[in-house]
Amino acid sequence: MKHFWALVFLMVPVCGVLTFIIAPHYNVWFPKDISANGHVIDHLFMFILWLTGIIFVATEGALFYFAWKYNARSNPEPVKFSHGSHTLEVVWTILPAVTLLFIAIYQMNAWADAKMRRPHIPVTAEITGRQFNWDVRYPGKDGVLHTPDDIVRTDGDIHFPSGEEVLLIIKSQDVLHSFFLPNIRLKQDVVPGMDQYMWFKVPEPAVVDIVCAELCGWGHYKMQGRATFEPRPAFDEWLSQKYTEQESHRVAEAPIQ
Amino acid sequence: MGIDKETTRQEDKETWCDPVSPCLPVSPSPCLAMRGREFSATAWLCIGLVGVAAFVGCGKADPPQFRLNMMNVVAKQVAPQHQQAIANILGAMFGTPDKPYAMPETGLDQKKLNMAAGPVWSDQAGEDHGLYRRHCAHCHGISGDGHGPTADILNPYPRDYRPGVFKFKSTYTSAEPTEADLLRIVHDGIPGTAMPSFALLPPDQRAALVEYVKYLSIRGEMEKALEDYVADNLDPGDKFDPASNAETKKLILDDMLKPIVEAWQTAKDQVIVPDEKSIPPDNRTVAQIADSADKGRELFYGTQANCVKCHGPTALGDGQQDDYSDWNKATHDFIQATNAKLAEMEALRKDLTKAKGDDAEHIKEQIRSTQKEYKEREAVIATLLPPRHAIPRNLREGILRGGRRPIDIFWRISAGIRGMPMPASGPAAPGAPGTLTQEQIWQLVDYVQSLPFEPASQPLKKGPVNSSAVSTGE
Amino acid sequence: MSTITADLHVQPQVAHAHRGSFLTTYVFSRDHKVIGIQFLFSTLIWFLIGGLLALGVRWQLAWPWSSMPILGKLVYSAQGGQIAPEAYTMLFTMHATVMIFLVIIPILAGAFGNFLIPLMIGAEDMAFPTLNMLSYWFMWPAFVCFGAAFFVGAAPGAGWTSYPPLALTVFHNGWLQPQMLWLLGIAFVGVSSMMGSVNYLTTIIQMRAPGMTMFRLPMTIWGMFITAVLQAFALPVLTAAVFMQLLDLTVGTGFFIPEGWTATNMAHAAGGGQPLLWQHLFWFYSHPAVYIMILPAMGMVSDIISCFARKPLFGYKPMVYSLAGIAGLGFIVWGHHMFVSGMSPVLGMTFMVATMFIALPSAIKVFNWLGTLWGGKIQFTTPMLFAMAFVSMFIIGGLSGIFMAATPVDIMIHDTYFIVAHFHYVLFAGTAMGVFGGIYFWFPKMFGRMMNDRWGKVHFLLTFMFLNGVFFPMHVLIGFPRRLADPYHYATFKVFQPINQFMTICAILLVTSQIIFVVNFFYSMFFGPPAGRNPWHSNTLEWQAPSPPGHGNFDFQPVVFRGPYEYGSPEVDIDYYPQTMPPPQNQPAPAPVPAH
Repeated sequence: MKHFWALVFLMVPVCGVLTFIIAPHYNVWFPKDISANGHVIDHLFMFILWLTGIIFVATEGALFYFAWKYNARSNPEPVKFSHGSHTLEVVWTILPAVTLLFIAIYQMNAWADAKMRRPHIPVTAEITGRQFNWDVRYPGKDGVLHTPDDIVRTDGDIHFPSGEEVLLIIKSQDVLHSFFLPNIRLKQDVVPGMDQYMWFKVPEPAVVDIVCAELCGWGHYKMQGRATFEPRPAFDEWLSQKYTEQESHRVAEAPIQ
Repeated sequence: MGIDKETTRQEDKETWCDPVSPCLPVSPSPCLAMRGREFSATAWLCIGLVGVAAFVGCGKADPPQFRLNMMNVVAKQVAPQHQQAIANILGAMFGTPDKPYAMPETGLDQKKLNMAAGPVWSDQAGEDHGLYRRHCAHCHGISGDGHGPTADILNPYPRDYRPGVFKFKSTYTSAEPTEADLLRIVHDGIPGTAMPSFALLPPDQRAALVEYVKYLSIRGEMEKALEDYVADNLDPGDKFDPASNAETKKLILDDMLKPIVEAWQTAKDQVIVPDEKSIPPDNRTVAQIADSADKGRELFYGTQANCVKCHGPTALGDGQQDDYSDWNKATHDFIQATNAKLAEMEALRKDLTKAKGDDAEHIKEQIRSTQKEYKEREAVIATLLPPRHAIPRNLREGILRGGRRPIDIFWRISAGIRGMPMPASGPAAPGAPGTLTQEQIWQLVDYVQSLPFEPASQPLKKGPVNSSAVSTGE
Repeated sequence: MSTITADLHVQPQVAHAHRGSFLTTYVFSRDHKVIGIQFLFSTLIWFLIGGLLALGVRWQLAWPWSSMPILGKLVYSAQGGQIAPEAYTMLFTMHATVMIFLVIIPILAGAFGNFLIPLMIGAEDMAFPTLNMLSYWFMWPAFVCFGAAFFVGAAPGAGWTSYPPLALTVFHNGWLQPQMLWLLGIAFVGVSSMMGSVNYLTTIIQMRAPGMTMFRLPMTIWGMFITAVLQAFALPVLTAAVFMQLLDLTVGTGFFIPEGWTATNMAHAAGGGQPLLWQHLFWFYSHPAVYIMILPAMGMVSDIISCFARKPLFGYKPMVYSLAGIAGLGFIVWGHHMFVSGMSPVLGMTFMVATMFIALPSAIKVFNWLGTLWGGKIQFTTPMLFAMAFVSMFIIGGLSGIFMAATPVDIMIHDTYFIVAHFHYVLFAGTAMGVFGGIYFWFPKMFGRMMNDRWGKVHFLLTFMFLNGVFFPMHVLIGFPRRLADPYHYATFKVFQPINQFMTICAILLVTSQIIFVVNFFYSMFFGPPAGRNPWHSNTLEWQAPSPPGHGNFDFQPVVFRGPYEYGSPEVDIDYYPQTMPPPQNQPAPAPVPAH
């Protein structure tokens, strides 16, 4: 086995590519995309994955080929005494540079859509991260936050309307958190003292996880939420139900479950 | 493999750098050099691997056990053999953390307990086991003593279930909480504390956890009853064994367990139901609410309700801040009593200098026993959470731990907060007279609800006064 | 050539200390080789500790809340060995802290830098030997601080990035706060690194042997040189940030705390600060620091690859320029750690473009390494295998970096296991492979004996297999967040548990296979075959000195005639051409100058 080591290095691209082929079949891949815009980010990821995948296979392949071909035990030819090639250096500087610049420019629109072009619509809800819960405050009937008719929930069970654009204010009560919706491909750190905005549109009803993605203390893993997207009528119904519960003056009005 | 032979052949004639010693002494290429030399590391390697395996194998901890409430045991000076007897009785009555046992007399649900107890794992069907240890034990402790490893870094401390005292509930002050009360806390969490919401767990898991909390409470109350009985009624040499003594068994089941279980089972009859007539109507105008809140404000500052005493003239919770909760008070008192032992010893030593003969021997004996108790107490104190003051709520933040519904606030004012300095303003039991009428309590509820929206509250949302007091604690 | 011979006699003679007592020779030594080996041993011990901490993290990820071996029994026996969630945060915080500040940075700059710089440039010692000694001994307060942080009730648990306000509030328990020890430890590491970097810069600029021009320096020295520049310019910022956080923590200055903000467990602070300020300052150091953590390894790998391909390094000057390019661009890309932090998205775009371009010098380096292998006569010795593994793994780590540089994709993968995969491919699969290669390569020079090659290869094969088993699957765990003690709370991530168990088993095997290395290392130190001066037939200067080199390094005055990579030169009939060997047409050689 004089080429044993070359074959070891061949295993890198082979196993690497296989991993990416097999993993989605076992559901170990992107969480399901439920949003209107998430496919843009998935597409960019796949675009970069293909591009880097080709470079990965090519360079790892070259490494394997050289390890095979120029093995001192089997290569009878003398060493090519070369200090390099100016032309080659220029080529492999310009080519990646152009590719990288293209990737950068190609991404900008998606970035602007996700973080810079905030829609001019009323705020759907204010989300506050605290150790270790996501609290939500809906503006209530008057549409203004921080008034007595706000609907406040501290159980992490957050509802949003589906089929329309949603605008959130997200903030933190104590330390840094990150409001992460894996199924909507959105993430934004919340910083105490700063109000951040987040917007998205989910076309169909769905129930997904809300994750905290910035270390916020020992209970970071516990900081779970659940986002329920439902059509506007159902959402309004849910809101008014929660409002009634919140205003209840009587014992039997709000059974738990 | 190896370096070309031609290159090695050239070496000896090279003398370009050092006339004394050649730069390239004729050494065979390293790879070739190895071949002649057998490396005896294989044996070492095997020894190493076996060692690691053994180390990891022995490195597993034993299953956890319930532990006695040593503060009570030492304070009551329960003899070691009685401690063992109590542990045995509790084991027979309640089982172990891995295998809890629901005595029929307790009315607990064995199935729910099994679901909540034991080590954390998921079976083939994805069913979760060991819920208590997955979600709760690291704060509330295996024994429910509120002193899991995480408790040290929390403020406020996690609840100690063993006294069976719960803060946020719908029942009269001294009653146990109802099942619904505990479920609500598990569902909503306690905002402003480290208690998160478990609303996203399936309902049956939440119910199992609540059952297990009740189990730990009943077990803790039972333990205290046993310890108190033994300390008050038995001499250190007396036998305490219900298995061989039917009378003892009856005593334990009827005189100790029964009242504890009854208190839990009758809790739902103890719920404070506001009088329909006193409840403000749903269709009040803004002006009516404001009017009611104004009356509430008068009560807040008045001498009858006297909320201002603790919650402060600003309602930022900056009034009286040096009181203790029951749990912290117990620790505080225990430490005080321990310090008193020290003073006692000093006094005895002083006496010893004056005493002679038998007297001196007697005093020496006293010193020895006091010293022993002092040492035991010191050891217990090292395991306790340092006591902290109870800080009244800042009412302007809009964060209310026991819930923000009007009915929650009503219950809080009416029944007070059990175990806390917050007193009951309503009746102590059904039919008893209260400090405030229900109408007045509802007015206070309106005032409390309006506080976060007062103009003065807005810039002070995160007023510093309260929190800095928290951090100075004791 | 004549200028060089003329310069020979004006070479300053550094008077070196006479052999002193045991204490001054082996403990408080000012000899760069002893200091280098001291660094090597200290960092390897911490490497082991860091690895065990990582196993704790992995155990929890595979079987959360089950009884953890050893740690669970030692600390959490009352809980049945189930660790507490804050212990998990401490585990990964200390794993990263130890690996970055006590292993990778000091092993590259401290161990290899100290040992190799004077030898490879033909100097007798460092420019400032006492400063050099201090740079090692200033690591000890850091060792003590980080070591003690485990024992003050709780270890630091705010992540190695220590973002405030969390860092100011975690485990605030008693006056001796773990976070305070952590900050002091970082400050001491900084002092040590700063001393080292000043010394390296001066030594490389001032102490080169006659004929050793800057462009005849081996790549290892270029790597060390650029690293020293990076440290000299970036460290002051970190030090400032560390002291600001220390002040926030102790006297409540509030540099990183917004107005009116308080939390339980925290003393009231003045406020008026900004949490993002820390991130800017921290990453202004720590982004260049990721290059501090790889450039020397890149240099060492270049030397090893050229030596065992028996062929000149392909594109020496582009390699040097790309190192310098990485260093320059390294200062303007820190914002890519903060794309979703709340920093202005406009700034995010600028940082994206800068970050894309920093991939360029790395690409050039990879192509040049491949070019070096092309047409060579590759000898698969243990150091060569590790060096080739470095290239192979660095390709993966470099390419996965492009995903993060792309801001929209980063929204999804920021703070997830894709990032963990990326930096472990660069730091563990990259730098650590370079370090292993370096140890196997220079071990004969350090201890005068060869390491066992066959066991070295077994070690390589197992390490290479298992590290890919641990880290490659992380690439497909998309959206799986880092630092969660129990990720399987989330329905979304429950499906990832089996693959995490696979990774954990690989991690356990990976750490176990290092036993081979430890045994080989210590066995060879005492019983390995004697190495001779130049066992690898390498060109660079250190191989012309005795193995191990005595005090003052060279037993002759080295004079340099050419670059370090003239393997297979047609000018001579051997396949290597040491830098000190005069060209054949210039015979007889210039009179050697005795070193003493």
